[in-house]
Amino acid sequence: MDPSDAHATPPAKASAYQRARTLATGLLSTRIDKSRGRIRLLMFGLFAAYVGIGAKLVFLGMSREQPQTLKVAADQAASGARPDLLDRNGEILATDVKTMSIFAEPRRIIDKDEAVELITAVLPDVDARELRERLGSKKGFVWVKRQVTPKEQNEIFHLGLPGVGFFPENKRVYPNGAVGAHVIGYVDKDNIGIAGMEKYLDQQSLTDPHVAGFSVDPASLKPVRLSLDLRVTHALRDELMAGLTKYRAKAAAGAIIDVTTGEIIALESLPDYDPNDPGDMKDPTKINRVNVGVYEMGSTFKAISIAMALESGKVNLASRIDARDSMRYGRFTIHDFHATHRVLTVPEVFTHSSNIGTARMALMVGIDGHQAFLRKMGQLDRLRTELPESAEPLAPKHWSELNTITIAFGQGLNVAPIQALMAVAALVNGGNMMIPTFLTRTQEAAAALSHRVVSAQTSESMRYLMRSNATHGSAGFANIPGYYVGGKTGTADKIFHGHYSKDKVFATFMAITPADKPKYLYMVLYDEPQGLAEDGGYHTAAHNAGRVTGALIARVEPLLNDPPRSEFPTQPFPLIARLGYGYDADRMGKE
Amino acid sequence: MWRLMHAIAIGALIASAGYVYSLKYQTIYAAEQITKTRHLIARERDAINVLRAEYAHLTRPERVQALADKQLDMQPLALTQIVKADALPEAAVKVDSIGRKLESLGLLGQAATPSAGLTGATPSTR
Repeated sequence: MDPSDAHATPPAKASAYQRARTLATGLLSTRIDKSRGRIRLLMFGLFAAYVGIGAKLVFLGMSREQPQTLKVAADQAASGARPDLLDRNGEILATDVKTMSIFAEPRRIIDKDEAVELITAVLPDVDARELRERLGSKKGFVWVKRQVTPKEQNEIFHLGLPGVGFFPENKRVYPNGAVGAHVIGYVDKDNIGIAGMEKYLDQQSLTDPHVAGFSVDPASLKPVRLSLDLRVTHALRDELMAGLTKYRAKAAAGAIIDVTTGEIIALESLPDYDPNDPGDMKDPTKINRVNVGVYEMGSTFKAISIAMALESGKVNLASRIDARDSMRYGRFTIHDFHATHRVLTVPEVFTHSSNIGTARMALMVGIDGHQAFLRKMGQLDRLRTELPESAEPLAPKHWSELNTITIAFGQGLNVAPIQALMAVAALVNGGNMMIPTFLTRTQEAAAALSHRVVSAQTSESMRYLMRSNATHGSAGFANIPGYYVGGKTGTADKIFHGHYSKDKVFATFMAITPADKPKYLYMVLYDEPQGLAEDGGYHTAAHNAGRVTGALIARVEPLLNDPPRSEFPTQPFPLIARLGYGYDADRMGKE
Repeated sequence: MWRLMHAIAIGALIASAGYVYSLKYQTIYAAEQITKTRHLIARERDAINVLRAEYAHLTRPERVQALADKQLDMQPLALTQIVKADALPEAAVKVDSIGRKLESLGLLGQAATPSAGLTGATPSTR
């Protein structure tokens, strides 16, 4: 045995110190024969590290719950910016203001019970139990209270609670309160449109406040201009309100439309609500009666029936209609409210509002023709405007001759008033039908999307009839000097338990200014107006809706930059004058 | 020689490092100022918006009408009070009423300055 060999092998029982020493010298030595093992060790170490990273990546990819930052969470929860709503003159109808909201991060709150106690001491209207529940949740972000006052914010700040903070939010305000509320609509706490044009904006998805969690820069939002005129809308609301108390009606509604473009200049429905504090909107009396209510429009529908008869060519202005006796149909008898008991001309049928005359004219056209014309005038289908609210008309399921007779004078077909408004606008503007809009629209755009429903001559005849009804018919209360007004009343008896009531009526009034070349069409509705003693107890539309429309025209026209004319047009109705019976409407009654 | 070159190089290095350092701090400061100003602008813009809303609220037709009814002693505008500018009558010819009166009294001829003649301002007769 070589003694040197025995020296080279480490002693079997080496001390701990010696072993550490050999390890250290081994590590620090740069002998080439040791590097293979080291490289292997290094490779193994790196491999293990990369496997670890890969596993973590897979784990992150699989995990459902993405850890979100506070900023993202707050942005998603906070109400986003919305574009301003302006009226046609640029007055503000709705805008955003910044308010502070208090939020909490439950994970960072140390003593939740104490936090609840302190917060509810400062904000007494926050429910303590509910707040404790919210703070106990596992969420990273919960609201404590939205849209607080600066004083409340200051007090919470001075509590110095960790995990409780403030976040600026947008709050929608409507500076004009209830004026135009049914068109503007309102938003919920998260600034999402619930009704009216506010909802329409969201449906356009241009302004979705929470697209993929990033908040919209308020400066990038262009204000949206509505067709409403704020001052005119206020005047409409004011006059409707005055009439509502005077005639002790249940409800009222009104609208003004520009017949050349289809823009709604003003729309009101009473009772209404303040969009800043809409309260409970389940209340059915607060609906938008112009768009959502469906009513039997009464005699204002006669305008459509007579236009149909004129358009069919079976009747002209000089035709004579027998209204000597009440009209019998089966077990029903049709009476005239202002019975004349004689043969009437077409203008007389209109001015005396003869049910018999209109029914006879509709029968000349026939059931199919009647239905086709009403469909063409948009009375049988749901009318959809920008407003999300709309209503399906109630038409009879089986349309008999009796239906044609009653619908001719406005009973038996329930339509939304805005449909009737659209139809009459088309009848008087030269025969061009266009869907009403609540956004601004130019004449060119209106011309491009309108289509002809009646001839220019029929349209002129309708204007002539409405004008003659203002000079010596039931629309006299609205005949404001200087505006060459034309109008039509309508008083529909309301149905109770399947019978028409005599003392509960739905009064409508439509007026055009000026009748020779209409620009504006006014519509005023009263639900169950009461007759006044000074009117002899009459509750017909002329006495309530007609008077209100008259006051409205006198008040609104100057606002619309339309001064009264000092002299009447010399040739208001040239087409029908050429046909021979067109002596002007102002003279007709005297003959 | 080399030593001097080294000293200069080291000096230049330290100086440039110092310059870059100060530049960096200036940049950070400027960036902070920009952020601050942006926040200020945003806050001002919000304040302007609040004021706009407030102005619109205070000038809403409903309130103005109520105030006018209460505070002003005025009638609503009647349609007969509105006329076009060219419908107004022509302005009347300017009448010299004093001159006409003098003429009717037969004094106009003498309206020339009472003879500042030989005797001075004081009339010699009467």
